[in-house]
Amino acid sequence: MPCRRVAVVFSIGCVIACALTTPVLAHHSFAVYDHTRTLTLRGTVTKFQWTNPHAFLELDVKEPDGSLKHYSVELTSINMMQRVGWRSNMIKAGDHVTAVVAPILTGEPVGLGLEVTLADGTKRELPVPAAASFKRTAETQ
Amino acid sequence: MSARRLIGPVALIIVTCGLLTQVATHAQTKPSAQVPDITGSWERYGFIPGQRGGGPRDPTIPPAQTPPALKPEFLKQQQARVQAVREAAAKGEPLASDNVHCIPEGMPAMMGAQFPIEILQSRGQVTIIEEAFTQVRRILLDRPQKSIDDVEPGFYGHSVGRWEGDTLVVETIGIKENVRYQNAPHSNQMRIRERLHLVSPTILWDEITIEDPVTLEKPWQVTYAYRRMPDYTLLEYVCEDNREYADEKGLQKIRVNPGK
Repeated sequence: MPCRRVAVVFSIGCVIACALTTPVLAHHSFAVYDHTRTLTLRGTVTKFQWTNPHAFLELDVKEPDGSLKHYSVELTSINMMQRVGWRSNMIKAGDHVTAVVAPILTGEPVGLGLEVTLADGTKRELPVPAAASFKRTAETQ
Repeated sequence: MSARRLIGPVALIIVTCGLLTQVATHAQTKPSAQVPDITGSWERYGFIPGQRGGGPRDPTIPPAQTPPALKPEFLKQQQARVQAVREAAAKGEPLASDNVHCIPEGMPAMMGAQFPIEILQSRGQVTIIEEAFTQVRRILLDRPQKSIDDVEPGFYGHSVGRWEGDTLVVETIGIKENVRYQNAPHSNQMRIRERLHLVSPTILWDEITIEDPVTLEKPWQVTYAYRRMPDYTLLEYVCEDNREYADEKGLQKIRVNPGK
């Protein structure tokens, strides 16, 4: 069997195995987000919305022409975030943060937060169900 | 005996009675020696759909879930819904589930414990709380089940239970027909039977059997396992600001940037 075919079969096998073994438990679908690429947003926090069912990070991001573009970054349930160490006081308005997001498919300035680098440089992942299904390409916005 | 001399003995009797009452109440609120102590926080454990692959099978992980043996007309309904959900998600336009409206899962889906659960054993009742949506169900112990017509349908229904040795045996009726489990239609005749028992000191199983003479050809069995979380206290969960909504086509959408 040629190597490429072996690789394809192996990849399909891995996908099936992951589907069978990964606890894909989510109350809300994240299918509205692009699973094939990510954006890296560097911006200033205007609001850190600490709510259920999901938290949100509101960011003003500087465009290449110097103008500001506002992005809403959807996060997971604050219960899930707390269980992996997130706290409501980790981000406040005015902080400069970097967020790796899966952009929404509609093209609106919205993304699903996968990882945030806080103002103090600490990098924190978000407990997104099936996070590995989002391919990280990290295009800088 | 003068009134003053009576004060001492009467006071002693009152204090003793009070203490005895307290002791009795305390004893009733604690699980008895014969009843397993399942009070505490639990997380879903061993979620391995299909249960395929090699390696020795872990006996604390329940067997694979089987699909419901729905009667043809209901199977058609379930399959149509599942296909619609799958196709919509593949297009990046998922159908809005009840959760999008902050509507809780209800029974028996809440026992799937997407978030941790807490079990409380008290006198005459076992209470189960699921952290997500703060779902609460009350299992009334050693009471007769009502007739289905006497129960107003709801999300958690009317549950009665009893301890049979080490197993808490529960029967639930009165689940609203729009409260669906795995997209399977059910009738008001549905009965959910559960057998909760420890399979090890730290692993609890809930063996669920769903009966519905209207929609099912035969009972549908599902088993969930949970692992103790000795240091975890359930968090509050309030659907405070839901920016997701269903549009006029029933698709899940998100409110962009309200108030920044």
